Amino acid sequence: MTAIYYVMIVSALYFVIMMLSFRNIWNISRRAAYSAYNTLSGSELVPSVSLLVPAYNEELTITENVRCLMTLNYPNYEVIVINDGSSDDTLDVLLKEYELEAIPNPEIRGRLDTQRIRGVYHNPQYPHLYVIDKENGGKADSLNAGINLSRYPLISSIDADSLLEKDALIRMARMYMENPEETVAIGGDVRIANGCIIENGAVKEVSLPRKMWPMFQSIEYLKAFLGGRIGWSHINGLIIVSGAFGMFRKDYVIAVGGYRGGYPGEDMNIIIKLHRYMLKNKIPYRVAFCPEAVCWTQAPDSYHILSNQRKRWGRGNLKNMIENRDMLFNPRYKVMGWLTMPYNVIFEALNPYFRITGLLALLGYVLMDMTNWHVLLVFGLVNFLGGYLLSIGALLLEEMAFRRYNKLSDLVKMLLFSALKFVGYHQLGVLWRVQGHIQYLQNNNTWGTMTRQSWKEKSKTA
Amino acid sequence: MFSNIALAYGFIYICLAMITAGIILLFCMKIKHNAALRKIEAYTAKHRDYFVYVQMHLHDDVKLQLPPGRLDRIEADVIQAKLMEWIEQLKGEAREKLLLLCREAGFVERDIRSLSSFRKGKRIEAAYRLGGMRASEAVPQLLKLLARTNYGPLAIIIARAIAKSADQPEQIRDMLLQLLASGKPIHALAADILLETRLDSASLLRRFLDDPEPGLVKVALVAMWGQAVPSAVPTLDRLVGSSEKDVRAEAVKLYLSSNPVLKDATIAQLMNDHEWEVRAACAQALGRLHAAGSIPLLAEALKDDNWHVRNYSAESLALLGEQGFETLCQAALHGTGPARETALYRIERIMAKEGNHEEVEQMVDFNKKKLLYDRYFGGAKPSKRIGKMAGVGGDYTA
Amino acid sequence: MSQATLQRVQSTDLYDELEQEARQHRGSGFALMFLYSADRLSEMKDAVRGYVEQLSASGAQVREDAAMRTLAVTLPGYSLDAAHYEALLLKQLLEEQRLGEPRITLAALTEPPASSVIKQMAEATRLSTSSDIYIYTEQKSERGRGRILIVDQDAAVRDFLHIRLAMQGYETLQAADGLEALDLIVKWEPDLMITELNLHGIDGLPFIHHIQQLAVKHPPKIVVLTEKRVEQTISQCFESGVDDYVTKPFSPVELDARIRRCLQ
Repeated sequence: MTAIYYVMIVSALYFVIMMLSFRNIWNISRRAAYSAYNTLSGSELVPSVSLLVPAYNEELTITENVRCLMTLNYPNYEVIVINDGSSDDTLDVLLKEYELEAIPNPEIRGRLDTQRIRGVYHNPQYPHLYVIDKENGGKADSLNAGINLSRYPLISSIDADSLLEKDALIRMARMYMENPEETVAIGGDVRIANGCIIENGAVKEVSLPRKMWPMFQSIEYLKAFLGGRIGWSHINGLIIVSGAFGMFRKDYVIAVGGYRGGYPGEDMNIIIKLHRYMLKNKIPYRVAFCPEAVCWTQAPDSYHILSNQRKRWGRGNLKNMIENRDMLFNPRYKVMGWLTMPYNVIFEALNPYFRITGLLALLGYVLMDMTNWHVLLVFGLVNFLGGYLLSIGALLLEEMAFRRYNKLSDLVKMLLFSALKFVGYHQLGVLWRVQGHIQYLQNNNTWGTMTRQSWKEKSKTA
Repeated sequence: MFSNIALAYGFIYICLAMITAGIILLFCMKIKHNAALRKIEAYTAKHRDYFVYVQMHLHDDVKLQLPPGRLDRIEADVIQAKLMEWIEQLKGEAREKLLLLCREAGFVERDIRSLSSFRKGKRIEAAYRLGGMRASEAVPQLLKLLARTNYGPLAIIIARAIAKSADQPEQIRDMLLQLLASGKPIHALAADILLETRLDSASLLRRFLDDPEPGLVKVALVAMWGQAVPSAVPTLDRLVGSSEKDVRAEAVKLYLSSNPVLKDATIAQLMNDHEWEVRAACAQALGRLHAAGSIPLLAEALKDDNWHVRNYSAESLALLGEQGFETLCQAALHGTGPARETALYRIERIMAKEGNHEEVEQMVDFNKKKLLYDRYFGGAKPSKRIGKMAGVGGDYTA
Repeated sequence: MSQATLQRVQSTDLYDELEQEARQHRGSGFALMFLYSADRLSEMKDAVRGYVEQLSASGAQVREDAAMRTLAVTLPGYSLDAAHYEALLLKQLLEEQRLGEPRITLAALTEPPASSVIKQMAEATRLSTSSDIYIYTEQKSERGRGRILIVDQDAAVRDFLHIRLAMQGYETLQAADGLEALDLIVKWEPDLMITELNLHGIDGLPFIHHIQQLAVKHPPKIVVLTEKRVEQTISQCFESGVDDYVTKPFSPVELDARIRRCLQ
């Protein structure tokens, strides 16, 4: 019976968070509509940003990605691509496309520890582009190398398989300027690009993915970002800023020692460290979420790749939780200690175990007394309806403020897949997470395969 | 047990009800929105001729006619949005004409009325549009609205509207003070908002420089970047001695960027300032001023703790002819730690420009430096380990 | 005389008559409007008559050229802008009455034109494929005053510049992004290009570099018209050979002057 309670409590909690999102959504849609992005994007007064793009074996997507980043609507920024010892032609592709040449004696200012840098490339014709070539050291290591070279006070990490909307960066900067001292990190909204038509490094036409796996993820992302993160950011309890697109104050990232290497989940880790640092030193701060700044990312479209990604997430999440267990219920860490961390441990990390044991207990109970079969049905329904309600909520949020998908058929499709998610996909998610935890206990620390498709093929096939 | 199940049933019913309501709402919203989009499109097509008419005769010496026919709400919105789009892009007489058109079409009046609407969303929208139409008569009301709104993105939208509409400096001052009352260091944002004004920004900035409110002085200083306001130099001179830390740094930077004549004592004082921003600004200025006498000071500043100071010192040395370049070479050869790094990097930058010199003078100048370079480094490239620079201590100032 | 010849004579008379009338109103402003309808000319004629009668200005007349299936409306005392406004009111009226999509051409005549020019105008009305009101200007020379390529991702800005420049006799083409523009520069060889820096596909500075490396005989003059006010960007632009730099919001009159100066 407790299992049913557990599920109801989880749903209710999610619901409360989502209500917070609803409270904010009108303000968000208004500020997105009525803020002067045009004038800001030409203004000298907007802080300069260094975009850091770690790239490992990205020869297929990197040119499109860099082309996109080079044409952002932003007054002053630099793009630093960090080739993390790729075994493919990532570096050559870039060198050729932009006719880059090695800088003799490049000046590297930061002092974060990284793998050896082999060279820094530049072409005066593209004054805002730098490419770092370094030995393989992982994503965190690459970001640290990027930080070391960067010149500007703000940094923004962007995945090489993602495309930013032209206004994404200026929208974030607007949010930053609104409270520059306290804003330590801002997360962007990540959406699934599969199915969209990509041209010249920009999303030309938005539409839903045609394949099943990306479609499920589309709904999942919508739910997590709109339903969850808006609410969490409202109480400053955001535990993660997506690695695909986030902006940070460089001084604080350096103050907490940069990104942690050697383990996945570095995007969650940096945020937890920032929370910890700011709270420990009693500096007022906020970790904000900017849903109007949109980044389109390529989602894994096969079972194999997706399962690897999710296992990795499960592993990283568990690692972060265990590493930071001292923050749990620690009054010093306020919202983080009382809400975010417990929530993530009990309702995210341990979620699969509660559900599985609950289901097993109920099964046993029903087996003992077959007349109680309906309890099983009730359990299933509670699970399904609670989840479905949240999906509907996320779709409503989307409809109120963003409206990226315009066709009525898109809406029907999303409603359908939100329901289908609970038959199979959801259970797989639980399985992957458990597998991730097992990997953690086995000390298996591989990144897993992650193959990419070029954007061009992508728009044809997806 | 039964009560437990009953609770679960209750949960299921509530969920079902909410899901149904949610789905119905979703469809209604989508259909309504799509219908509105279609309508907007139709009206845009309907008034295409009018839009062409306005654009064609915007500059003629004629009075523009109002949009034809009776307009319904969405129709008026479409036309107003279009006019406002042009207002943002244009200035001068063309803009004035469009503003007049908005006024005569009753758009201004309509939005002033919505300003006292009960719905917050409506008020914000009206504020935004009144700003777009530069409606000076709405400013007192907007100021009141701003006073009632908590600091945040919406307050900023209202503040921008005030900056755009206000026709009296006092109103802008009021608005800025309300923004600054949030206590957050939003001077850059405030400056950006301030520069949206249609009043003469130079005189406005001069006025704020003399303001007793330190926050306003800072905003004015920030806003002055990129705006040449020569008549403000005497005021800057005074502010250089200000006790407000931020104000002083900004003022020094601006003051130096106006290329003043500096006394040696002043230079020495500025280069030894405890504020790195002041030192950096001074190091940067010295190169431009061709103050060859300051080479020893700059050589010393190559060892500064702050990267900016080091970097600007090296840059300035590079600008100070043969003697400056030689100093750089010496630092690169005999110096240690960051001083050496900075000097090396700068030298490489200069040498990399080989062959890019069109003017004879530049050629001669470059060749002199090249000779020096060869003398110091014997033609062999100075070597440096990339990436590893232990024992230098962190420098994360930017 | 056969029917056809009679009609032709009549219509020749019509254009002579129009020329006469224009001559009479020399100096006081005289606007001439042609309307064309393929199938419902007589209904349209009634509607136009009704409309013209309620105009305050006296002397407005509607004449029919049955052979060309056009109506000629004369508006003495009207300047171009006033006639333009009447034309769009009239067009709306006709559309409301579902009289098809009339083709309308309009001219304000300061110098009385030859009847052949008037006839040309009527012909242009008949052959026009767009339902927009067409403002007729006499082409002064073969290539006009010069070719201008407009590059901006904002359709409103492109439209505005196009309307304005076309009216001054420039030939214009538009490109929404940098890559399209590069293509057009090679194919069309414009004399001048007005460009935003913030473009899709290629960033402003590399875009300008690219233009200078294109294999064209006379690379276009470049006027940057942009939102960017960052000093560093401005100086970088001039270093890479941009001829002029105008920031938005801009004054149309000032832009005109700068374009003229660049083309001289």
